[in-house]
Amino acid sequence: MTTRFTVVHRTEYLYGRQMSDGYTVAHLLPRDTPTQRVLSAEVHVTPDADELEEHTDLFGNRVVRIGVHRLHDHLGVTGRCVVDVDAAPAEITLETSTAWDDVVGRLEQARGDRATDIAPFTAPTAATPSIAALDELSGDLFRPGEGIVDLIRSLTERIHREFVFDTEFSDVSTPIAAVCAARRGVCQDFAHVMIACLRARGLAARYVSGYIETEPPPGEVKLTGSDASHAWVSVWVPELGWLDADPTNDQVPPQRHLTVGWGRDYFDVTPVRGVVIGPTAMQWLSVGVDVTSEEVD
Amino acid sequence: MLSRSLYQPPSGRFDEAVAEDGSTRPTWSSVGAALGNMRPADLLDHQRQADRLLEAEGAGHLVHELMPESSGAGEPGFVDSRPWRLDPVPLVIGHDEFRTLSRAVVQRARMLEMLLADLYGERRLVRLGVVPPRLLFSLGSLRTAMAPRAAARWLVHYAVDLVRIADGSWRVVQDLTDAPSGAGYAMLNRSVMARVMPDAMRLAGVAPVNTFAAVMRRALAAQAPPGRKSPRTVVLTGGPSHSTYVEHSYLAVQMGFHLAEGGDLVVRKNRVWLRVLDGVEPVDVIYRRLEDARLDPMDTGAGGGGAGVPAITWAAQSGGVALANAFGAGVAEERSLASFLPAAAQALLGEGLDLHALSTDDVLATAPCVSASSYGALVPGTAVLRLHLAVTPDGTTVMEGGVGRVLAPGDDPAAPTTLLAKDVWVVGGVAAGKINVRAPSQHHPQVDFGSSVPKRAADALYWLGRAAERAEVAARTTRVVGAQVQQDPSLLTVGGGGWAAGAVALLRSAQALPIVVDETAITDIGVSPAPFADRLDHELRGGQHAVANQIAALAQEATTVREFLSTTTGRVLGRLTRIRADLLTAKAAPDDLDTVLVDLAALAGLSMESTVRGPAWRFLDLARRLERAISLLGSVQAALGLAVEPLAFQPLTESLLSVNESLVAYRRRYRSDVELGAVLDLLVHDDANPRSLAFSLDRLREHMASLAWQEGADLVQQASLGALGSIDDTVSSGRRLSVDSMVLATRGPLLELGNAVVRRWFADPVNPMVMGAS
Repeated sequence: MTTRFTVVHRTEYLYGRQMSDGYTVAHLLPRDTPTQRVLSAEVHVTPDADELEEHTDLFGNRVVRIGVHRLHDHLGVTGRCVVDVDAAPAEITLETSTAWDDVVGRLEQARGDRATDIAPFTAPTAATPSIAALDELSGDLFRPGEGIVDLIRSLTERIHREFVFDTEFSDVSTPIAAVCAARRGVCQDFAHVMIACLRARGLAARYVSGYIETEPPPGEVKLTGSDASHAWVSVWVPELGWLDADPTNDQVPPQRHLTVGWGRDYFDVTPVRGVVIGPTAMQWLSVGVDVTSEEVD
Repeated sequence: MLSRSLYQPPSGRFDEAVAEDGSTRPTWSSVGAALGNMRPADLLDHQRQADRLLEAEGAGHLVHELMPESSGAGEPGFVDSRPWRLDPVPLVIGHDEFRTLSRAVVQRARMLEMLLADLYGERRLVRLGVVPPRLLFSLGSLRTAMAPRAAARWLVHYAVDLVRIADGSWRVVQDLTDAPSGAGYAMLNRSVMARVMPDAMRLAGVAPVNTFAAVMRRALAAQAPPGRKSPRTVVLTGGPSHSTYVEHSYLAVQMGFHLAEGGDLVVRKNRVWLRVLDGVEPVDVIYRRLEDARLDPMDTGAGGGGAGVPAITWAAQSGGVALANAFGAGVAEERSLASFLPAAAQALLGEGLDLHALSTDDVLATAPCVSASSYGALVPGTAVLRLHLAVTPDGTTVMEGGVGRVLAPGDDPAAPTTLLAKDVWVVGGVAAGKINVRAPSQHHPQVDFGSSVPKRAADALYWLGRAAERAEVAARTTRVVGAQVQQDPSLLTVGGGGWAAGAVALLRSAQALPIVVDETAITDIGVSPAPFADRLDHELRGGQHAVANQIAALAQEATTVREFLSTTTGRVLGRLTRIRADLLTAKAAPDDLDTVLVDLAALAGLSMESTVRGPAWRFLDLARRLERAISLLGSVQAALGLAVEPLAFQPLTESLLSVNESLVAYRRRYRSDVELGAVLDLLVHDDANPRSLAFSLDRLREHMASLAWQEGADLVQQASLGALGSIDDTVSSGRRLSVDSMVLATRGPLLELGNAVVRRWFADPVNPMVMGAS
């Protein structure tokens, strides 16, 4: 079954005073994957951008660099894309899979493409450090000989069960130690926690940035801008390649998921970030995401 | 000869100066001979001389540790500076040994260049399992954004720390591939040693190090993006708060490049532009002294503390500007990668490295050292040697010399805790007895920025000029009034305290404080001089503090624009900073204020005589003239606005003339008692008197014409008209109203001119602010 998603992702900055130069990096253009095909994608900027260039980063993601060099007190960056996504089966039907500790051994001995393309995702980063709290959270799941797919399933389920989704608790700079201590956070926190658990053991895990289509509460009309950017995890499984897991929803994407790109952590694929040059001033940020879909066959 | 009584190295390990049989090594013969004639006291004298010379270069005192008075806190916050010191005994290396060492350093630089190209390119080392990917990708210094389009050259300037071990061989302590420091310090130290140990240096035949500046210039010019016929280069610094700022500014001067801070540069259309007075000028090559973690807030987030240039790495990646060294080169100096380097060399070069890494159980060799704690005696110590290499179009050049940093017991050789450095002498390659003058200057392909000046520098020079003038006014007023009352204490009560009231007003005006005198104090006069003595004393102390504060402001501005000031200026500033400490003590001697006045006069003279008459000089001079005009008006109002009794008028007017250095001129011209009209004529209208308002306004008028700035010219004109206001003797509430209104009408436009200068020429929104991430 294939679903055609249309996503509009608006980011709006307002500044208290006029800025002279603004630089923005956007990870808003989705890439093709084995389960999705990008039909169209573009980024629109107001005021008119003096520079708008598309590049490819180290991980193959599409990056847009935007420069505005005129006085401006607001900046709008809107990403718009149409993508066909094949839904994954709700359960992974794999009779047996390699033991996770076997996978670690293979990654340690990796040579060639596997060393350059997959093994880098075993490296802990500043956002996904190896901390003691991870062992307490998931140590019992890493039984010697446990199949990698079963492990991913139980770890996804564990994080979903243990953590409370709370948009008030964290921001992009909250360390996972604080997230683990409070057992609260949002999707990117849960993705970072799960990635850190896997990398601490030597497994390869990617941070996936994308969108998820939400359903309005029963009987209510869906509100504009009520969808959100979303983040989940992808783990390397020798038999399958990269297997996605969504600890926020305890799902195997894609269900209503659409991938934009991936990296080592959030900071490799932040949807929109930037720097402005100007006088010291207040700034206000607002973000709205709309995902609509139709079944194509 | 180094006799045993003078220096005794420990036995069983290599010593730089003394061989196993106790004889002085041949390379050390001339230094040994020079030291043989010295007693510990002489060595201490040499070290103190080195301290003074370093201080003159601004290196002894880090001026950023010298804070001006914090508002309201009362006592000025003076932080002791931590100068680095120079050991008068150099580290001597023979020419042949240095040649072997250089070859090994060149090999290492070649290998690291290939390593970087591979790590950011095809990653053969990762594919082959030489460098573990899990380690590599956990390094924050691996710049992932650089990978798709790697730099053409990674290392233009490379440095390496070496240390000799007990068996006499050299080991690598660390590689420096990001923004290696020390090349400028090596040149600076040498210029000091040439004066501290001239005979030993001449006898030894020491290879010069200052030629490295020209080598770096060529190396940088060669990095220019293709098609830039006359590349423009700047030295990028983190600013005066950067730990090696002194060196940045020194290098900029030696190479003849502008020193730029992050805010001086802006990226547009993938090019980098320098903000100059009237717009922007393109930059082709950036010799970055700023570490790559702080270089671009677009790549590395807010961690740079605002020091970097947003999107500078975009410009570099698209070929709009060349960064030396390239962004991302810092990963090669990661110590966690060091153990993989021998295998990497085998894979990349097909050969082993000539230099091995220092291991923790290596015993270090010794060298004779003089430290403050050794009271001038020669004691065995260990110095870590930093060598520098530049990659030029015709090959690589290793600086024949460097800096040796002396280790304290238990120090990590990579991070010495002592602030004691040794000059490094390479001897035997240059004919002994020959004095090495600067190498003849070579043809440089670089075309400089002509008459342009970075906006920030013009801004700093402007405030430097104003602070210098304020310091002078405060110093002279305090000196004049203090001397007068000391010579003739009866002045305190003369004319019913009229002189004292005027003197207090003059002192307050010199501190830029409101001059309105407390009315009740005036009525107290005649009864006793005590209230006025106290009041005057208070203001004299305030005047002294104002001098100290203005010197601090002056020094701070000067720190950011050293490249525009001569070395002599640096010496004068160094002395002023030292006197400043005395001024803050309870009672400074009048001599101190005299010294300040002499130094400030020297500074003013230097700015007139030793500065090229470009825009840099223009803003410095404009500021002095403006401040002088404003201060003069303040003093006129303080002394003449007050209608004092006739007995007080004479001495008070003399004070006013002295404060404005015009008393002698007055006596020569008028040969009579002072008279209001004549005094005003000399101070306000006489355009032949360099201290007069008219003279200052004439200079301001010329500056406005050169800048072709109408708004400024109009304000100067308004001030001139205001000064024409007629003066009479109408008095109301004890004040001469015509003086007050003339000052008001003249000073108003001048104060506005001060604001307008900042608005028109300097104000620029240049604070990078990180946007919230979605």
